[in-house]
Amino acid sequence: MKCINKAISLLLITSMCLGLTACGNGSSKAAEAESGDGVITLRILENDTAKAEGYLDELINAFNEAYKDKGIVAVDANMDEYSNLAENGPYGYGPDVLYQANDKLMTYAEDKHILAINKEDFECSQYIPDEAWDAFAISVDGKQYTCAVPVNVQEPMLFYRKDMLPDNWEADWDKDGDSTPDFLQNWSSLYQYSQQIYSSSNGEKYGLVAACNDLYMMAEFMFSYGGYVFGKDGNGVLNSEDIGFGKGASAKGMLGLRQFAGVMNEECIDDSIGQNRYSKVADGTYFCSISTPDTYVLFHDRLADVYKEEGLSEAEASDKATENLGMIELPRTMPADGNLSENGDTVDTVVMGGVNGYGISAYTEHREACIEFVNFATSKEMIKKRAEILGIAPTRSDVAEEIGGVTEMIFGSLNEGHIALMPSIKAVDQIWDPMRTLLSDVAKDAFRENKGEAVKYADEASMQEALDKASQSIYDAIYTLSN
Amino acid sequence: MKSNNIKTKCSYLVMGLGQFLYGQRIKGLLYMAVLVSYLWYLFTAGISDITGFFTLGTVEGDPWLGTAGDDSIIMMLRGILSFLILIAVVVFYLSNIKDIKNTEKLVEQGKPVPGFYAALLSFVDKKFYVVALFFPVIGVAVFNVLPIIFMILIAFTNYGGDIVPPKLVDWIGFGNFKQILSLSGIKETFVRILGWNIVWAVLATAINYFGGLFLALLLNKKCVKGKTFWRAFPILAYAVPGFITLLGFKFMFSYGGPINFYLKAFGLQAVGFLDIDAGWKARIIGLLVNAWISIPTSMLLATGILSNMNNELYEAASLDGAGRWKQFTKLTLPFVVFSTTPTLITSFVGNFNNFGVFYFLRGGLYLDDYFLASDTDLLINWLYNLSIDNNYYGIGAAVSLIIFIITSVISLTAYVNSSAFKKEDTFR
Repeated sequence: MKCINKAISLLLITSMCLGLTACGNGSSKAAEAESGDGVITLRILENDTAKAEGYLDELINAFNEAYKDKGIVAVDANMDEYSNLAENGPYGYGPDVLYQANDKLMTYAEDKHILAINKEDFECSQYIPDEAWDAFAISVDGKQYTCAVPVNVQEPMLFYRKDMLPDNWEADWDKDGDSTPDFLQNWSSLYQYSQQIYSSSNGEKYGLVAACNDLYMMAEFMFSYGGYVFGKDGNGVLNSEDIGFGKGASAKGMLGLRQFAGVMNEECIDDSIGQNRYSKVADGTYFCSISTPDTYVLFHDRLADVYKEEGLSEAEASDKATENLGMIELPRTMPADGNLSENGDTVDTVVMGGVNGYGISAYTEHREACIEFVNFATSKEMIKKRAEILGIAPTRSDVAEEIGGVTEMIFGSLNEGHIALMPSIKAVDQIWDPMRTLLSDVAKDAFRENKGEAVKYADEASMQEALDKASQSIYDAIYTLSN
Repeated sequence: MKSNNIKTKCSYLVMGLGQFLYGQRIKGLLYMAVLVSYLWYLFTAGISDITGFFTLGTVEGDPWLGTAGDDSIIMMLRGILSFLILIAVVVFYLSNIKDIKNTEKLVEQGKPVPGFYAALLSFVDKKFYVVALFFPVIGVAVFNVLPIIFMILIAFTNYGGDIVPPKLVDWIGFGNFKQILSLSGIKETFVRILGWNIVWAVLATAINYFGGLFLALLLNKKCVKGKTFWRAFPILAYAVPGFITLLGFKFMFSYGGPINFYLKAFGLQAVGFLDIDAGWKARIIGLLVNAWISIPTSMLLATGILSNMNNELYEAASLDGAGRWKQFTKLTLPFVVFSTTPTLITSFVGNFNNFGVFYFLRGGLYLDDYFLASDTDLLINWLYNLSIDNNYYGIGAAVSLIIFIITSVISLTAYVNSSAFKKEDTFR
């Protein structure tokens, strides 16, 4: 018995020690920053599309080739579990250089997790407009700092079927005679054309159907009327206490959204449209929808699938899809009074946009090498390659001019103030759910009357009240519990 | 028992010294090594860890200036660890006292003092449970107790919102609990969600339990052909990962999903099963979807228990004139309930804290009259909204403590009053 006791004790002790040893191994760092031979290794965190489309490999290979004599090697950070810089950076984990959207990067910047940079250190700085740099500006103790290098601009785009344009559009839908259909230029015409499609097809086909509960896609119904996310104080610093979704004449704009939802179908209320917009545009149920430029390939491929089913070869289907799929910015004007049925005075459309860029971790041990990498990644050659492979709209003016088309159009919109960039402060995290709830409710309101339910937003006053409530909810989320 | 022996008193002062003086050199040295190790730890790190636990840091870090600063969260963890080490040393000290008294007794009785090897053998033999459990207890303390204490303590800090490292966290006592119970919007939301949470947990547990029992009884019937075939269906539903099932149901009930497609195809209007106005529609869908996921488990459990039923009881009951319903209520149900009470309680707690159903079906809605929540959110979903979506870790920890208290009180009360506890030997 004694022997058995001893053996069991020994076994338990051994297994426990082994267990503890195994746990110890898990804490080793994700990657060694400097190898024994003095080569500096930079961990680069890029987005999934750049990885999937092969751009990250191109970038890393080109950089490593160019810097092989300087002892700097870039690698894919490949560290999903360590991608949160705020949580992992202080403990020596996380990437050295990270490519992310301005709201995400500047959330890190607020707590100084990414470095403040000197614009002049970067060759691209002279080609990038101030509007893009502003997305990465932060005020600390009264001083302005820049925390990342802008790479590209994002905004919602209109995806439409060129082959579904009405035969008579030049006579009936081009009143200004500029050879572009009016419904691609102003929201009132787009609404009226959508109404026409809906009634002429007995409710089986639609004009525009978009995700009405998505703030990023629908912010123009507030921003174009004087609404904003957060205001600025006297020094031009963002003030998250000033929540502006209900400011200006936003209520009029939101009534316009409610009106437009009425000629969409109920799929615009929930997440359904996010999943099926590609196939519904491809099969012609919808004439157009709204999405971000990086989803062009999804619209294109679904349309090509439809053509393949009709008997075309893969190459023919792809060519025909390219020919028939249009991607342009959202219509440039909206009705000043929010009434889409009338063609009266207009206001310029202002959409919500974002700027993606490169930030450098404040915890990197190789600041100079990181600057070298960002300089290389934002060079004309690499940005051009990025635009070609990923279809992004670069912030470098020289590349935007050279590529032309939609890229130049987006770049121009940024310069002209048609894109209101997502605020670069941490509080922006709290705007999405309250606004999603409101937008969903407004879209639903368009269908309540037909179902015999009470209409909630029949006039400007009720809409204003709803906007104020949503703003209060955002304020509560930011401030009520903050200690 | 007071001792006047100077050697014994030495061990009160210096752990192991008495044993050393009594001739138990190795044992004495080991005790002294523990004491020296602790003192070394105390002066190199322990004192600062204990101080850090109370201050949670005094120097704020600044990565731009390369100032490391204090990390409040790490300091709290190290502080907890230092208290656990202190407790371990106190346990060693008390064992030292007990040991020296035993040794003194042996000396007084004129018996020889056992050497190290003999004492070790005797200890392993008589206190085998201590030897066997020593390392597992350390493991549990480090990997289980420490994180639980850490989470409980977070409820008493201002961690979250803007206060995240490198900013310094502070103790705020019951501040988070006061906020939950005093801020008008939060208090009302808490009460509303708690009410719905209790209703949900009771209904979900009952539906799943009796649904499973009903299926098991049905598939136990002699008249049912192809039992294995029919039993496979619930098991298939059980085998699919829960979140996939939930996302599937979300799509089915969405405006673009198949249910609304067929409603429209039959000339009816689309129904917002899960939209902002859904209310009880969404709650009932949640209950049914949860039943889809959970009934297979209770069915399998009930099937196993029913196979142990004594058929003679039913025969006797039939002879006594008991009908099928009487047999069910007087024989089957008491037997199954008796065997499954602990599982029933686990199921209740699981349903009370069922995060997935409404997170996947209807997450991301903040309704009027609710503070950062919707009318289908359970406390655990609200906890998620507060602590993850909005970074209020302190408030989140306070809510989780309240959930813990509620579920443990309900579970313990139910268990203590159950026949499974009171009449443990009934069915043995």
